[in-house]
Amino acid sequence: MYKMSVVGKNVRKLDSVEKVTGTANFTTDVELPGMLFGRTLRSPYPHARIVNIDTTAAEKLEGVKAVISYKNTSRVLFNTAATSTFTLPPMMPVLDQYIFDSVVRYVGDEVAAVAAVTEEIAERALSLIKVEYEILPAVFDPLEALKDEAPALHGECEAGKNIPAEKIHLEMGDVEKGFAEADFVFEHTFKVPVQKQTQMETQAAVAQVTKDGKITVYSTTQTPHPSRRILASIFEIPYSKVRVLNPPYVGGGFGVRIGLSAKAEPIAVALALQAKKPVKVVYTRTEDFIASDTRHPGYITVKTGVKKDGTLVSRKMHAILNSGAYCTWSGETPGVLGAMGLSMYRCENQMYDGHSVYTNTTPTGAMRGFGNPQAMFAIDSQMDIIAEELGIDALELRIKNMMRPGDKWVLPYQCQSTGLEECIKNGAEEIGWNQKGSFDNSGRFKRGIGVAVGTHVSNAWPFCGDYSNAYLTMQQDGSVNLAAGVPDLGTGTATTLAQMAAEVLGISFEKVSVTFGDTESTPFDIGSHASRTCYASGAAVVAAANEMKAQIFEYASKLLETYSDKIDIEEDHVYSTERPEQRISLFQVAERAHLAGIQFIGVGKVIPQNAPPYMAHFADVEVDTHTGQISVIKMVGVHDVGRAIHPQICEGQIEGGIVQGIGYALSEEVIYDKNGKQVNNNFHKYMIPTSMDVPEIKAILVESNDPSHPFGVKGVGETGLVPTAAAIANAVYNATGVRMHEIPITAERMFKAIVKNKNN
Amino acid sequence: MNQLLRMVVNSENVEIYVSPDDTLVDVLRDKLNLKGTKKGCGEGECGACTVIMNGKAVDSCMIPAIKAMDANIQTIEGISDGDKLHPLQQSFIDNGAVQCGFCTPGMIMASKALLDENSSPTPYDIKEAIAGNICRCTGYIKIEKAVQEAAEMMKHECCCHNHSKSEE
Ligand code: FES
Ligand code: FES
Repeated sequence: MYKMSVVGKNVRKLDSVEKVTGTANFTTDVELPGMLFGRTLRSPYPHARIVNIDTTAAEKLEGVKAVISYKNTSRVLFNTAATSTFTLPPMMPVLDQYIFDSVVRYVGDEVAAVAAVTEEIAERALSLIKVEYEILPAVFDPLEALKDEAPALHGECEAGKNIPAEKIHLEMGDVEKGFAEADFVFEHTFKVPVQKQTQMETQAAVAQVTKDGKITVYSTTQTPHPSRRILASIFEIPYSKVRVLNPPYVGGGFGVRIGLSAKAEPIAVALALQAKKPVKVVYTRTEDFIASDTRHPGYITVKTGVKKDGTLVSRKMHAILNSGAYCTWSGETPGVLGAMGLSMYRCENQMYDGHSVYTNTTPTGAMRGFGNPQAMFAIDSQMDIIAEELGIDALELRIKNMMRPGDKWVLPYQCQSTGLEECIKNGAEEIGWNQKGSFDNSGRFKRGIGVAVGTHVSNAWPFCGDYSNAYLTMQQDGSVNLAAGVPDLGTGTATTLAQMAAEVLGISFEKVSVTFGDTESTPFDIGSHASRTCYASGAAVVAAANEMKAQIFEYASKLLETYSDKIDIEEDHVYSTERPEQRISLFQVAERAHLAGIQFIGVGKVIPQNAPPYMAHFADVEVDTHTGQISVIKMVGVHDVGRAIHPQICEGQIEGGIVQGIGYALSEEVIYDKNGKQVNNNFHKYMIPTSMDVPEIKAILVESNDPSHPFGVKGVGETGLVPTAAAIANAVYNATGVRMHEIPITAERMFKAIVKNKNN
Repeated sequence: MNQLLRMVVNSENVEIYVSPDDTLVDVLRDKLNLKGTKKGCGEGECGACTVIMNGKAVDSCMIPAIKAMDANIQTIEGISDGDKLHPLQQSFIDNGAVQCGFCTPGMIMASKALLDENSSPTPYDIKEAIAGNICRCTGYIKIEKAVQEAAEMMKHECCCHNHSKSEE
């Protein structure tokens, strides 16, 4: 292994100066000469057929340059989610969206769009579009939507009524035999809500079409390359004629734009094609709420058989998720839910069945954790119940059953490392686990401590295809340009990639410059999702750096009069390992090579394996039993990150994830009224944690150094959210003796449960 | 219809015609091209558009532009001293308080309004000052720490400054 000089250090993030001075460029900041503004007309009904649409008055309004609807736009079916571009057989991509259709399937579905010289005129033009709807019956709950009498949203579906994609079935051993051998069997059903990503920059795109038909789209996407492919297929032009780029910054994502930014890009392109001018489309906050993917809500049942000593012998899981009106990620999410849920603990006999169901609500898709926070709320709430019933300490039960290297699981890759036991022990110490049960809970306020654990992935394989490419070019002064197709959503991707390149090459961090998030100047990369950039793109960068290094060694061996395997680079100098005083600066090597007609170019192409990150979360909470109000006093998150390339970035990911998890546990829930309209479609009504809601949070890193990555890295982008809700629900139980099977545990839900518990 | 708005933005006099429905954030971003101030909701709920107006942090999306007549406005573009970053900017970088960066300008302006008035804020004062600013990335932990450290940095800078003065 290398002697680390850049990796593991909190170097200054490459994007930070621009971001603190207000000079960082985001899609919403882009302005092009002659640019028009696009606005979208959305359905007020959850399910309706457009009988007639009359746009003549809108077209006549002065300043209007284009009006589009299903009548004059592409009829190519697509899926806004990037998965449609890398679904692995035998699963098939589900293509169920048009830019506009003659049937609308949720409140907020796209009906028409206008481009005009100002946003105000575009908005006024929308009000001049006359639409005649034939209202169709609608259904909002996934269990209802499975019934025979429910309306079919997309006609006949192969997998069953309103089931958009394959049903997921995972199996290992023999669950029935396992249950028969168990001393106790537990079965519980849990309900999880619609959470919204609420990244701070709403969905946005600016499209420009040149006279010769080349399309450039500035976009908030998390995946420029897959998004390019989706756009090229919608508009039926060669992929090479579409350029998708971040400008270069993106105001967060959390999964909401893995693929297109809802329909911002295709609407902007369709308007630009018709108006022959650049068009900017920026979703309002309410549009972002109602018309871009949310997290999957649903029902999860877990049945577990255990021995008296706490050994798990059989586990069966079942999940029904609400897909909303379109598929987007509804094929993969139930898969990840089941696979992660089952793989947390060692258990010989396991089975999972799960799928999504179309309903007339906003499409549900990827959100940080991707099915896993749902799974772990159920799994680790139940582990707590089991520990209590068997009279085993909650930590001990988890340590006893945790997955270890060599254990069998349902995943097609190996668990090669785990730092979970250390995570649990460190976290217990930090939260003061031994105080558990010792609080004076005789009064109105009751305090409790809870734990939950979790795991996740470090990229998307085997749930969908996954690979990364990167290349490095050395300039004549020994500095390096790095090009990778991933975006940097604020997760520090560019910084950590540059750190890894600098480390391998033995050059200073300051000499690496990174190009990212642009299909024209970078090779294909899936993009930023599945906690994968540091792991997968990082591995590609390391491969590229190694290739470049070999070229440098080869060339420098002549200059140093030694063999190429007797050379190394350190502090921007190439030296002979046998005679270290034989040193020559990289500047000189690169310049000499240049004069000889040689540039050092390293290309890295990687199909990553996968690695499970592990984490233990602890919550210390206080419940006001008179109001049901829950205050979190402290959260501890101890994470096995494999290796921390930049510890501060890792902590930031964990802290941010924990706070989103607190929201998921206690306050965040998109609610639909009986007409399918979101009741709380803005920041005023949808309750995101603010600074006032955030307790003391301690993020602690554990490094297990996974063998599947050149630096030992595992994913950390999503992990902070995974076990948070379960840890809080377990702490609430410890405080009050009331078990919550549904989140968010709002004050109202808590209060009702306390009352019900008393009456029983 | 359109009215002439006079104001001082980042120490420069500005005169510009605005319409009655123009908000301050739109004038700053679209007419003055000060795109550092962000818009996350346009409804006074997220704080991304926070600027300092006559010494107070305000949501510029909730201010009709014409209400800024004769006002003194500070935006994120106007707080560093040439190439020298404002202590808050430096401290946000050092503490890793910046992720996507979309909330950052508003956060820094809300914090600056606090530190301009209160040089020794308690952790609670800091939480309160940024309570109207949503950050979906960081979980606020590193932001609060950054503000605390900036306050200390500024106190130190300013007492050194006084020192050298008294020595003169
Ligand atoms: S944009 Fe002004 S408060 Fe959100
Ligand atoms: S850094 Fe992204 S919202 Fe604060």
